[in-house]
Amino acid sequence: MHKQVTLTEAVELIGDSQTIALGGMTLYRRPVAFVKALLRREIRPKDLTLLCFTAGFESDLLVGAGCVGTVRSVYFGLESFGLAPMFTEAAQRSSIRVLEETEASIVMGMRATMAGVGFMPSIAWVGTDLPRLRPDVKTISDPYSGETLMAFPAIPLDVAVLHGLEADPFGNVRLNNNLGIDMELVYIAKTVIVTVERVVDRVKLSLDGQMLPAPGADYIVHAPNGAWPTSCYPDYPVAGGELLRYVDQCNAGQFADYLAGFLAETPTDTK
Amino acid sequence: MADFTIDELISVCISRQVVDGEVLAQGINTPLVMAGFILAQCTHAPNVRFASAIGQSICQEWAPLGVGRIEDLWLGKSLLHVGFATAAADLLPGYNPKEFFHPAQVDPQGNFNNIAFGKDYHHPRLRLPGSGGIPDVTPYSDHIYLYVPRHSRVTFVEQVDFVSGLGHVPQRRRGRGVNYLISDLGQFDWGQGRMRLTSYHPDVSREYIQRKTGFDLEIAPDIHETPPPTSEEIRLLREDIDPLGVRKLEMLGGSARKDLLRAILAREGVL
Repeated sequence: MHKQVTLTEAVELIGDSQTIALGGMTLYRRPVAFVKALLRREIRPKDLTLLCFTAGFESDLLVGAGCVGTVRSVYFGLESFGLAPMFTEAAQRSSIRVLEETEASIVMGMRATMAGVGFMPSIAWVGTDLPRLRPDVKTISDPYSGETLMAFPAIPLDVAVLHGLEADPFGNVRLNNNLGIDMELVYIAKTVIVTVERVVDRVKLSLDGQMLPAPGADYIVHAPNGAWPTSCYPDYPVAGGELLRYVDQCNAGQFADYLAGFLAETPTDTK
Repeated sequence: MADFTIDELISVCISRQVVDGEVLAQGINTPLVMAGFILAQCTHAPNVRFASAIGQSICQEWAPLGVGRIEDLWLGKSLLHVGFATAAADLLPGYNPKEFFHPAQVDPQGNFNNIAFGKDYHHPRLRLPGSGGIPDVTPYSDHIYLYVPRHSRVTFVEQVDFVSGLGHVPQRRRGRGVNYLISDLGQFDWGQGRMRLTSYHPDVSREYIQRKTGFDLEIAPDIHETPPPTSEEIRLLREDIDPLGVRKLEMLGGSARKDLLRAILAREGVL
């Protein structure tokens, strides 16, 4: 049975050294309000393993604030707005560990977890340098053809945090259609937290969005505008001006100032 | 001959590589390619379908390019949504789409790199966002195409620092490696398994292209000048497909790029 909680309560669920996944895609429907509340906590989490199919602004804030030990992502950047400045710098200094991932390694790893097996085989990576950069990923001989394949290991996940359009008191949630890997994250996470733009009497089926039926979410949080400055289609587009300000300030060496200003904006606890 | 700019010539050359009926895959932040794909549908290839990373959708109709409102295109017009896990592991191998990648480095064998610059993986000179699905599809696909908006010896190197895209190498088991590359200077193929200049753009000499390339270029026997865009192709690009000029972001750097990005965001109302 899901439980509706405040943002302040939800972020207490995150512990040090956990693997947490942030839903959405690059600049779209990211759980930014959750990240903001997490960074407002009296004691910030540390040594998180961050799992994002594509990581963007929300993840860069966590890396910049020193909360992340390991990154697992197929793309960490800000699309048209350029490189993710804090990730780029941390990766170059080796102050975070980058587990080089691709679409196949994350997808096959999640499918292995869902299937309750240790790995999934794939032709991906064969011949490239990826196996050299990920010596923990082993190969396997196809028992039928004898071909050597990659054996992508199962990916464990403690907490998935998604942002959706609306939720109802039954625990049904509507996401939009820019899904990323949100549905798989729900299937593999031990705990699922979903922040939503609106709490409604009853979520209705709509072509505009994928339904995540109860029991999908363990915790639901009302967080209006909770993806800003990333988009929440069709409610609002990417806040380009804010992303430009972020990149400019980081490139001027002022990440700490940006973060202080960002966190000082009006708290969004709503119930 | 119509007046044209080099970004328009690149999009037109990409369009001319499209065969009617194909599925065309659109990655993250590659507007020169999207402009070319849409142009193909508007001209000689009315039956192509677009498969997009954003929204993980299949679209038949298109909308003009955008930045802050790009989801209007991929979510507002889609025929099918799947999550990224299904898109990457099931749908793409099945549809076997044509895709243009933007390599950070490429070598004469057509290996390419989107991971980092520098031999030391743990302390790279420049960490890049990541390789997405490139190491997954290049070991088997026959439909790998490349584009390089700014041709230089930084990109065209004797040996790439990391092989994320697999080229024409003996360890390849399936597929055939990169077919084609378009840059701002010319067009290239891998006819004999090694990069070969097939056409030079108007007002560009073969010697200049060689000087800008960090290895000896082979020259195709039927080398010729790149056919220029038609006035109708230019009109479609400027007036219908990309009136905001999003494609031009890929040609620019520094403050010129930032000014254009601000202008685009302002016109979209998201600054």
